[in-house]
Amino acid sequence: MSEQLPAPDFDAQQYARPNQNWICGHAAEGQACRQGPDARGRCCATAECKPLLETKPGETKGRWRCTRPGGECAAGPLPDGRCCRPIVKCSPVPTLRVWRGRATLAVIAVACASLLLVCGNPPWRNQFFSPGQISRAHSGGAFAALVATNHFQQNCEACHVAGNSGPHGIVQTALRAEPGMLELSKLARARADVPTAIDAACVNCHAGKNLHQPDTAVISCSYCHAEHQGLKIAATTDANCVFCHGDAGKMAGHANTIPVLHHFAGDHPQFRFVAETRRDPDTLKFNHARHLTGTTIPKLPGGRTLDCAFCHQPDAAGAFMKPVAFESHCRVCHSLQFDPATPQLQLPHGSAAFVSAFLRSLPKQYLNLAPPEDPAAANAFVQQKLAGLRAQCGSGEDLEQRVFFSTATFGPETQVGTLGGNTRAVFPGCALCHEVQPGRLGSPSITKPVQTERWLTQAKFTHAKHAATACVQCHAAVTSQDTADILLPPKETCAACHNPRAGITDSCATCHTYHPPSAAPQ
Amino acid sequence: MKRFRRQFFIGTVALLVATAAALWAHRRWHHALPDYAYLSGWVLFVALFVLTFFNARKKLSFLPLGKAETWLQIHIYLGFFTVVLFLIHLNFRLPHGGFELTLAWLFTLVSASGVAGLFFSRTLPVRLASRGGEVLFEKIPALRQTLRTAAETLAFDAPTPFIAEFYTQRLAPFFAGPKNGWRHFFESRRPLNALMAELEDLRRFANAAEQEKIEKLAALVRQKDGLDYHRSLQLALKQWLFVHIPLTYGLVVFTLAHLVLVFGFSGGAR
Repeated sequence: MSEQLPAPDFDAQQYARPNQNWICGHAAEGQACRQGPDARGRCCATAECKPLLETKPGETKGRWRCTRPGGECAAGPLPDGRCCRPIVKCSPVPTLRVWRGRATLAVIAVACASLLLVCGNPPWRNQFFSPGQISRAHSGGAFAALVATNHFQQNCEACHVAGNSGPHGIVQTALRAEPGMLELSKLARARADVPTAIDAACVNCHAGKNLHQPDTAVISCSYCHAEHQGLKIAATTDANCVFCHGDAGKMAGHANTIPVLHHFAGDHPQFRFVAETRRDPDTLKFNHARHLTGTTIPKLPGGRTLDCAFCHQPDAAGAFMKPVAFESHCRVCHSLQFDPATPQLQLPHGSAAFVSAFLRSLPKQYLNLAPPEDPAAANAFVQQKLAGLRAQCGSGEDLEQRVFFSTATFGPETQVGTLGGNTRAVFPGCALCHEVQPGRLGSPSITKPVQTERWLTQAKFTHAKHAATACVQCHAAVTSQDTADILLPPKETCAACHNPRAGITDSCATCHTYHPPSAAPQ
Repeated sequence: MKRFRRQFFIGTVALLVATAAALWAHRRWHHALPDYAYLSGWVLFVALFVLTFFNARKKLSFLPLGKAETWLQIHIYLGFFTVVLFLIHLNFRLPHGGFELTLAWLFTLVSASGVAGLFFSRTLPVRLASRGGEVLFEKIPALRQTLRTAAETLAFDAPTPFIAEFYTQRLAPFFAGPKNGWRHFFESRRPLNALMAELEDLRRFANAAEQEKIEKLAALVRQKDGLDYHRSLQLALKQWLFVHIPLTYGLVVFTLAHLVLVFGFSGGAR
């Protein structure tokens, strides 16, 4: 440790006055005068003493006597009564307190001046006072065009009443704010469902904003949408949604349809199609399990195995799947050939009337395939084909009945060499896949398949974001044998990943959108 | 010491309890109250006002407002709690925009200087006491002058000129004013040791009487160094207030402006 220094000796008579604003200029030389400067920093030194006139009884002139503290000086006062030892005047020095006070005043002055300077210059004011970057929606080119048509400026005044005001205007607006500055109880009791002054600015562009349910109360825009948070407008948080949806009182009018909820993995209701055990109303007969796992499913061209992705292809946005189409996805296996001897002849698809007309024009169809140069040979070719068809299917009416109503996938038992077994059916028939009903007049009627595009219409979903997950992990297609099965996962399947523990977002806005598309700016 | 520990314990427990309560309230009402930011702002404003009032309290010593020591303890612990309130008011996010960044920087500098001041006031007096030589800061210039006069008398009264030469070249600048402020602050004794080594070298050329003078000069050098040490540390004890107090008032100005801007521009926006 460092050596202990002895305390220096002080002249106890010399008081340093550390709590005063000024000290004697001679203090640094150790010769501070006793009186010291006055409160305004002026040197008060005159002389070492103020001589006293002593007049003895009977005398008229008297004698000046030295009053110097510490003893009379040798020379004594001058004849006119002044001290003979005047003190040299000093320049008093401000103490640290004074410098600190000056620094404080300087900082206050700089702060006030800079604020007034910024307030008086609109471009600086807009930039300096802005609490953060405006979202792209409220600052880009589209917004500029919008404000031009609505006849206001693309600056603070577009949204803020005080945006185009100087210091006086800002203070006036602040004093007129509702709730007021000091109305703490009103601030504490503020409700999200009460529009505020700034909401009026939102409605300038978002006029007639349409909330997500027609019978819901109007909620202040700024409750959910925090501006000045960067280029992307701040996302609505779950707390914003739960403010209503987690409040039994607010949801009282909707208790039958929307329960009180707080978390997706927790009290979010089961998807409606599961809860209500809905069935797909499509009349098309399709067996997912057979197509995915069946041993009779042939290889696709190129040796590819039939899988989900062959029929279910994502749309351009990658969000949903495009509808399955017969020509693209079914015809490769279900070619609609009905005459094994003439494989190039295929039934049309899409209209029962067309099929009937096609069957009734079979001689003409065969004639189109006959060699054109010799009419006699062509006629013989047609007759031969028709005879072969009759041998297999009977009359033309029988053929039409078979084409529309047969569900047979296998033909009669045959023996070829030592191997016996069923042959493939000539044509399985429309009824294999479709609901076919006999028509009273003309051709039978085939119920058109209806592919439901969206089951969860209140939620958004993007398949592209789930590309890393196997289809069958969510869709139970491998076990589904009935078209009526809705192969969407139940809530639990989604919540297995979308929950805080799994680390994947489970926020309301992940699936739900508050505003319908009609709320776009006008 | 026992009293200090008791104060420290009570203050720390109160700070922890208040922090826990504030964080709980933040979690509970942050989303539930649409105007929560206004309310947390007002709480922060009141805390800032009380902290700023501590400076005024020191000037109102004639009023019966409790002991200054109690106010200091309140100032310290409320200061720490205000940092928590500040973070809550910011919702634990960095502010953006020129004005809010200025405000945040002012708060940060005021808080940091306050923490530095607390650290100084807890550590520097201990160092000063361990060094000894208790001296009033205001007396230091006069004492320095006394030492300088004594050293000059010793140096220039010597019969041979080499002590006077040494004084002129090496010791005169040392005695002329405060020296090695930063080195003293960081407890470095290298400048003193270097000077003492040079004085030791000087002894080799001195006779007995001159050696006595050199010995006295060395004692004066040590006293001057001790004086510089006191000045450096006592100045640090005073200078942190040159950051803390002026910026506090700058912060008050910007806070008032913030209040007006928030109510002027938001129009009730949340």
